[in-house]
Amino acid sequence: MLKLLKTEWLKFKHYNAFIILSSFFALGVFTTNYIVFTVNKNIVGKINTAGLVSSFNPYDFTRTWQTTSYATGWLLILPALLLIILVTNEFTYRTNRQNIIDGWSREEFISVKIALAVITALVTTLLVIITALVFGLFSGTSFSLNGFSHVGYFLLKALSYNLLAVLISVWIRRTGFAIGLYFIYLGAENIISQLLDVWSLKLRADNNIDLGSMGDYLPMNASDGLLSFPDNPIKSFAKANLPTDYTWLVIILAFVYVGLFYFLSRRRIIKTDL
Amino acid sequence: MEILTVENLSKNYGNIRALKDVSFSVPAGTVFGILGPNGSGKTTLLGIIMDVLKASGGGYKIFGEEPTNKQRKQIGTLLETPNFYHYLTAVQNLRIAAAIKERGVEDIDRVLEIVNLANRKNSRFSTYSLGMKQRLAIGAALLGNPDVLVFDEPTNGLDPVGIAEIRELIKKLSQQGKTIIMASHLLDEVEKVCTHVAILKQGTLITHGDVNEILVNEDLVEVSAPNLEQLKNILQQLQGTTKVDISDKVVRVYFPSGKADLAAINQFCFNNGIVLAHLQLKKKSLESKFFELTN
Repeated sequence: MLKLLKTEWLKFKHYNAFIILSSFFALGVFTTNYIVFTVNKNIVGKINTAGLVSSFNPYDFTRTWQTTSYATGWLLILPALLLIILVTNEFTYRTNRQNIIDGWSREEFISVKIALAVITALVTTLLVIITALVFGLFSGTSFSLNGFSHVGYFLLKALSYNLLAVLISVWIRRTGFAIGLYFIYLGAENIISQLLDVWSLKLRADNNIDLGSMGDYLPMNASDGLLSFPDNPIKSFAKANLPTDYTWLVIILAFVYVGLFYFLSRRRIIKTDL
Repeated sequence: MEILTVENLSKNYGNIRALKDVSFSVPAGTVFGILGPNGSGKTTLLGIIMDVLKASGGGYKIFGEEPTNKQRKQIGTLLETPNFYHYLTAVQNLRIAAAIKERGVEDIDRVLEIVNLANRKNSRFSTYSLGMKQRLAIGAALLGNPDVLVFDEPTNGLDPVGIAEIRELIKKLSQQGKTIIMASHLLDEVEKVCTHVAILKQGTLITHGDVNEILVNEDLVEVSAPNLEQLKNILQQLQGTTKVDISDKVVRVYFPSGKADLAAINQFCFNNGIVLAHLQLKKKSLESKFFELTN
C-alpha cells in the first residue's frame, strides 16, 4: 500500500488545486475557530444573562474538543471537493485506464483512492486536535481529555464526507456533475432530515413514541448529528423535551454508511468497464 | 511460445455485439497486426486484454497463463489515446508510469530521446501537440524495454515524418526479437510492418495467420479497349488467369504472383482482333485484398 500511496503522491504533489484547497482548509480551520473564539469572548461572554451563561466558554478544556470538532466540521466540504477533483481527474484524463494498463489491478486502483480518503480524514482530524489544543490552552483552563470522543465523531464525519465524495466520483466520473450532485445530495438529505426530526418531535408529543431524532439516521446526518456546539445551560434546559439521543445507534449507523460507501465504490471499479 | 491466446472472446454493449467469439493466438517474436475498419472491435479486443473492459464471454491467456496485473507490468501498451495527467510534465508523467510498472525510472531519458521529446521533457502535457502526445504515449510504452508491446493505432495524429519514424521504430523493435501487437485501420501500415495479421469485421474474426499466407499477393493487369465486354470475354479464354472482371473503365485480369506476362496478353488480344488502348501491370495491394475480405 505504501508503494501505491507514493505513486498517488506523484500524481498530485504538483497539482495547483491540491495545494490551494489544502491551504484553504488548513487556514480555514484556524480562522473559523478563531472567529468562534473571538465572538464568544467579546460578544457572548459580555452579555448579561443573570449569571446563567456568563461562565460559558466553548474553548475551555473539556469543551474545546467538541467546539473545534463541530466548527471544523463545516469545512469538511473542502477536502471532499479536493477528493472529487482528484478522483474524477482520473476519468477525465482516462488515466484510470492507463494505471490499469500499466499494471495496477482494479483492486489496487480503488484501494489507493479509499486510502487517500481515509488519510485525508486522519490529517483533518489531526488538524482538529492541534487546533483544539491551541485554543484550549489559550482559554486558560487546565488540560483535560474529557470530551475527546467528539474528535472521534469528527473523524467519523470526515470519513463519511470523504467516502461519499469517492463514491459519487467513481459513479458519476465527471468533475462538474460529481460536485453538483454532492452538494445537491447534502442539501436534500438535510431537508429530509429536518422533516424527519419534526416527525420525531410530533410522534413523541402526540403518541408518546420516542424513536430518537430520526433525521440523524440518514447517511450524512448520522455523522453530522453526532457533532453539535456545546450546550449552554439554557439549551440544556430546553433539551429535556426533545426526543432521546440514541448516540450508540447513530454511531453504528454512521459506520454502516461508511462501510456501504466503501463497498459500492469498490464494486463500481471492479465490476464495470473503465 | 504463445504470447497471447484469445479464446471465444465476446463483448456486448446492450444489443450490440462488439466482439463475436474471437479466437486466435500471437506467437512470440512476431509483429501481429489486428486489422479492421473503424468500429470493427480492435480497441475493444485490446481493452479486454488490458482489463479496462470486461468480456461478456470467453477468455484469454497471457504468456500461457491466466491474466494478472503483474503480466501487464511486463507489457508496454498504448491503447486508443495517450492518457496522461494534463497538468504534469512529460517526465513527471513517465515517473508515474514507471512507478506503476515497477521498472524503468532510470529509462525515462532514453525513451524520451527515442520519441524525440527530450527537448520538451519538462513541458506540461497540456502544451503538447497531438503528435507529441502520441509520441509520449509510445515512449511510455517503451519504458523498461519490455519484450512485448501493444500499440493501438500508433501513428494516429503523427505527421508523415513522425509516421515513418514510428514504423522504423517498430521494425527495429521487431528485429530485436520483441513481440508487437498492433491494431490499425491503416492497411499499408500493417502491410509494411506486420508478419502476422488478424482481420476483424464488425466484431467477427474473418481470418488470421501469417501475412504471406493470408494476404497472398497477386499480379493485377489493367487493360482497356473500346469494347470492354468483348475484351473481358476474350481475356476469360486466356490461360493462367485467376479472375477477370470489369472495374472503372478497365478490365482487370488477375494472375498468380509473378506470372503476368504483358507481351503475351497484348499478343493474345491482337490475335483475337482487339487492339488495346491501355495495358498496365499493378501489384495487387493489401487494400484491395482487405476490401475483398471485408465486403
